[in-house]
Amino acid sequence: MQILGQLIVSGIAVGMIYGVIAFGYQLTFVTSKTLNFGQGEALMLGSLVGLTVVAYTGYWLMLPVVLAFGMVQGAVVERLGVRQAIRTGSESGWIMATIALGIIFKNLAENIWGRDALKFPSPLPEAPLSFMGVNVLPMEIAIVVGALGMMLLVELFNRRSIHGKAVVATANDRDAAGLMGINTSLVITFSYALSSMTAALAGVLVAPVTLTGASMGGALGLKAFAVAIIGGLSSGFGVVAGGLILGITETLTGYYISTGYKDVPGLVLLLLVLSFRPSGLFGTAAIKKV
Amino acid sequence: MIRKLVLGLAASAMLTGGAYAQSIKIGLSGPFTGGSASMGVSMRDGVKLAVAEINKAGGIMGKQIVLVERDDEARNELGVQIAQELINKEQVVATLGFINTGVALASQRFYQEAEIPVLNNVATGTLIATQFVPPEYKANYIFRTSANDAIQSGMIVEEAIRRRGFKAPAILADSTNYGQLGRADLEKALEAASVKSVAVEKFNIGDTDMTAQLLRARQANADVILTYGIGPELAQIANGMAKLGWKLPMIGSWTLSMATFIDNAGANGDGAAMPQTFIQTGNTPKRKAFIAAYQAAYKVDRMASPVSAAQGYDSVYLLQAAIEQAKSTEGRKIREALENLQTKIDGVVTVYDKPFTATDHEAITANIPVFGVVKGGRVVVAHDDDIAGDKAVRVKQK
Repeated sequence: MQILGQLIVSGIAVGMIYGVIAFGYQLTFVTSKTLNFGQGEALMLGSLVGLTVVAYTGYWLMLPVVLAFGMVQGAVVERLGVRQAIRTGSESGWIMATIALGIIFKNLAENIWGRDALKFPSPLPEAPLSFMGVNVLPMEIAIVVGALGMMLLVELFNRRSIHGKAVVATANDRDAAGLMGINTSLVITFSYALSSMTAALAGVLVAPVTLTGASMGGALGLKAFAVAIIGGLSSGFGVVAGGLILGITETLTGYYISTGYKDVPGLVLLLLVLSFRPSGLFGTAAIKKV
Repeated sequence: MIRKLVLGLAASAMLTGGAYAQSIKIGLSGPFTGGSASMGVSMRDGVKLAVAEINKAGGIMGKQIVLVERDDEARNELGVQIAQELINKEQVVATLGFINTGVALASQRFYQEAEIPVLNNVATGTLIATQFVPPEYKANYIFRTSANDAIQSGMIVEEAIRRRGFKAPAILADSTNYGQLGRADLEKALEAASVKSVAVEKFNIGDTDMTAQLLRARQANADVILTYGIGPELAQIANGMAKLGWKLPMIGSWTLSMATFIDNAGANGDGAAMPQTFIQTGNTPKRKAFIAAYQAAYKVDRMASPVSAAQGYDSVYLLQAAIEQAKSTEGRKIREALENLQTKIDGVVTVYDKPFTATDHEAITANIPVFGVVKGGRVVVAHDDDIAGDKAVRVKQK
């Protein structure tokens, strides 16, 4: 029982990391039907910028700098990689463009911060807390609380503020929103900024646990993509649930079946979802008119 | 007579070699980016240091060495491309390098076919130096100056079982060629010591959570963790044990000396032990001079991977001796010279006295490496009596 508890707690911590990155995919997908394949790199850049800034300001003052950096980085990705593809109605231009930008960001980071994995100072004590024999790091709790808090704030913003309503309107029907006087291309830029901002924040949240470095984005970004597909790209709640499902499946499979097959059930689940519910477990099926 | 011969040789070299007559091109292939970059860069820096010293002293047979460096990114297919480029386009006389066993195995076939010698100075996969042995092949062009995995796994088992008396080892290895071939060697060595591992677990490059692997080892009542992986994931194992509040000694392959393990595991990594051909302590004049020269040239205090730097450095001097003995840059003659080196080479790792023969291409034997242990962010000698007195420099057993 204690072991099951430990596996689930660790699975939640890992799953939350996947979920919070996948949440970034979801943010841009609803407004523009495009997503940033360099989301993992946005996370990596956020965490490395954080690592540089944290030496001067300490952990908490570093957060606003990283958030601002994330917004700018997201806007740059949209302007350089996505806008042109949306304007010309290209179905796949943005895919190649965001992948290319991701590679450029990775190379840039390798030149600035080097190629090794780096340790990120933890703002919280590194000694584990013990609840009924289940050990958890304070930073793992911070990841879960921080990620949920951030997603809640983004959702609140979208539902309550006038700017957020423009985002929701664009998500529902871009053409109609445009006719109502909403500057939809600005909204799309904004959603990219928001998406990279969440990734950057996720970067500094997870780095004390995962280590940081130019190559951290690749593996995490890919896992998060699987999560987004399992949970459904159209639902913010779905990607969180998807993350938790994948994270917990991984640790349970690793322990009860074999650590050599840790990734297999997650991928099987991915295939099942693609076959039976292509819009994701929690997504709503969209009818595409042509 | 001799002078005439030398003049004749020089003349013919000028005629055939053209623009390259005044230099000797040596290839260098290793990962300078990615997860194993700290080993690749240290190896490259060690090689460059030796090349600079030799060039300053007049080069080889009066010719300057020109290094052709290529980053193989630890990718097998890129290693193959680089091998073809170095052989056909750059026409190197020999190649040094290879950190990753997979890259070495994929690339060296081309050198073997072109009859160009390769000195593997870091990669440890047991198969590497015996892939092309006679009589199936006419001659083997692949040499090695690192301690192979059979040697290392034997040493790990010796240390864990015989010296420290552990009875229930758990093996944690990554899913790469390196990790899985090393795991097989470890299991073989354990079997020879009549001990069975209580758990054999696997993890992937980039994994950040080791809870499942460690819980399985704990459930099996393991009393020591034997590892085969690289820096960042090894650090996650040490950190994972701290999280579970369950700390076992870690003993594993030489990669536990990587800076990415030591830095990222911090205090959790203290006590991890691994076989080392070279430890950054100046216990002989030669080693002291090498460490000082390296620190001055690259403005660092701690070498990122001392083993890679030292083995890289020594590999250049072995090659120099072979070319000078062969009085030729022809691959076949360099190989013959390497297999029958007449001069003793006072290297950083050991004194190389006939390090290779036609049938034995491993410069390092099991008696040469010693155990290192992580202590306060550095690797130090684990057992001081290992390097005491005349054991300071351990030479190859005949």
